[in-house]
Amino acid sequence: MSLRTSISPPSVAAPPIQDAPSRHHMWQRISPYIYIGPAVVYLIIFMIIPVVQGIQLSFTKTPLVRPDGGTGVGLDNYSRLLSSPQFYNSLGATILYTAATVIFAVAIGAGSALLLNQAFKGRTIVRAVITLPWAVPTVATALIFSWIFNRSDGVLNEVVGVLGVGQQGWLVEPKFGMAAVVLTSVWKVMPLVMLVVLASLQSIPSELYEATRMDGAGALETFKAVTWPHIAPTVRVVTLLMTIWSIRRFEIIYLLTGGGPVDTTNTLVVNVYRQAFSNQELGRAAAIGALGLVLSLLVTVVYFMMERRNAAKEA
Amino acid sequence: MTTQEAPPIPRPAPHKLRLKVPGNRNFSKPARYVMLAALVLFSGFPLYWMLNTALSQDSELYGQAQGWWPHWERLADFGDLIGSVPIFKWLTNSVVIAGGTTLLSLVFAVLAGYALSRFKFHGKGAAGFLLFATQMLPEALLVVPIYALFASLGLLNGMGGLILANVAFTMPVSVWIIKGAIDAIPYEIEEAAAVDGCPRVTILSLVLTPLILPSIAAAAVINFFDGWNEFLLAKTFIAERDLWPASVGLASFIGQYLTSLNSVMAAALLFTLPALIFFLLVQRRIVSGLTAGSVKG
Repeated sequence: MSLRTSISPPSVAAPPIQDAPSRHHMWQRISPYIYIGPAVVYLIIFMIIPVVQGIQLSFTKTPLVRPDGGTGVGLDNYSRLLSSPQFYNSLGATILYTAATVIFAVAIGAGSALLLNQAFKGRTIVRAVITLPWAVPTVATALIFSWIFNRSDGVLNEVVGVLGVGQQGWLVEPKFGMAAVVLTSVWKVMPLVMLVVLASLQSIPSELYEATRMDGAGALETFKAVTWPHIAPTVRVVTLLMTIWSIRRFEIIYLLTGGGPVDTTNTLVVNVYRQAFSNQELGRAAAIGALGLVLSLLVTVVYFMMERRNAAKEA
Repeated sequence: MTTQEAPPIPRPAPHKLRLKVPGNRNFSKPARYVMLAALVLFSGFPLYWMLNTALSQDSELYGQAQGWWPHWERLADFGDLIGSVPIFKWLTNSVVIAGGTTLLSLVFAVLAGYALSRFKFHGKGAAGFLLFATQMLPEALLVVPIYALFASLGLLNGMGGLILANVAFTMPVSVWIIKGAIDAIPYEIEEAAAVDGCPRVTILSLVLTPLILPSIAAAAVINFFDGWNEFLLAKTFIAERDLWPASVGLASFIGQYLTSLNSVMAAALLFTLPALIFFLLVQRRIVSGLTAGSVKG
């Protein structure tokens, strides 16, 4: 109702602003909080409080069946974690998974972007095909790849069978589990790298290429002098995002291997979930989660330090 | 905000331009085609295999080699094929969850994006930091305390609780997208309305919102598919099979072969297709929105 009355009459000669300056002033001061307030309060309730509670939980022994009935154990969860080989194995799996996924996704993604930045017939279709995996829901991705990797009837074994290799348990043998999980992850996330780098490549002014061509520069020199400096910041940002997302990636790993075979893909987030919902130890799960969070924060801090150094170098 | 606007600019006729630019060729021609073919095979094959498996005969799946070509005639009995999986019930749940997530998230995002774009106020930096930092928090870390919180509030095992939790994860990105969109609208338009005595709420809902509709649509699509794809929270919070979204329902078939795999894949295809179609429609905005959202502090 008020909406309609306030908008229709153009007859309001003097804006109400002048009528009550002090009231208006006060309103001006609180109104931003009315707009930002709901989002902030919401995030405090559903993000900040849970994080704080999670950290509190990590100092307790809390069974899953009674999530609010824990007993304080001090640093016990942490000291047990830091002295257990299983935790270091989990940390190692996280680092290996993250490093492999990020390196392959960024290399293949940036390479594809360079390829797709050139004109050729069917470019639109090729681009669409390469992009599609990113839109495939994670659960569908896991379903497809678990079938491709299937030991007895999967198509991958059919293909390697032609090459004279016997049936392999891609998801159940410790030597293959991590590779299978990384391959699936790269398939899924590489398109994002490609799209972002491609957008950056397309914003390079063509005059720059003209100029280097006039100078008689070859392809490699042009890449070094023009292309790379232009896309490097984008590649760095996308590498950071890929790293953070890989550290926290859960679904693909959990659905394909469940952390196995023999814990080879038991990354920190998978470990958190198993501790909480299989071993029903919420306290220990929260402690692993907190250490995982420290790892993500470290990556972010290192990234910003590197960015600052780069900025200083350029200045 | 610059990241958001940058990509669309170099759109017009890149082909002609690039053909004339030899310096932009980083690979020789045959090598380029080999690499492109490898890429297309790598990215396209698993999707093709999903289709091929969905349209396969029961007899080819186990024991003998699966054929390389889909049996298109199976499209005729697609209904029977997916009959053994309660996929329509699960898809309906997914629509409810994703729709609820989108609506709630957008309301918060439009309000907060407006505040961040148009006001100067104490604590603005802190609010921005909160919106930035919460994107870094891993779902798997939060799932335990949120589970504990919801258990005490009686919010487990319902779609309402799941929507509430989802919004916490999808809203920050939406706020950045909306803020970027409002930043790009000249302030003069609102000024004119303000002089006419329009309250801010009216300006926001009747003047600004229609102007940033494309960005709202992009944010809506991102939210919808976050809700559509979400698995971890749903799997943890909802035990009842009838209330599962399709993500959890389909995941329950992984590694078990009681239900024929072609039925499962057909259901997965129904779950995947809407995501693919929508993504192709709004791809450009999704990518710039995502990077804009996650990169700015």
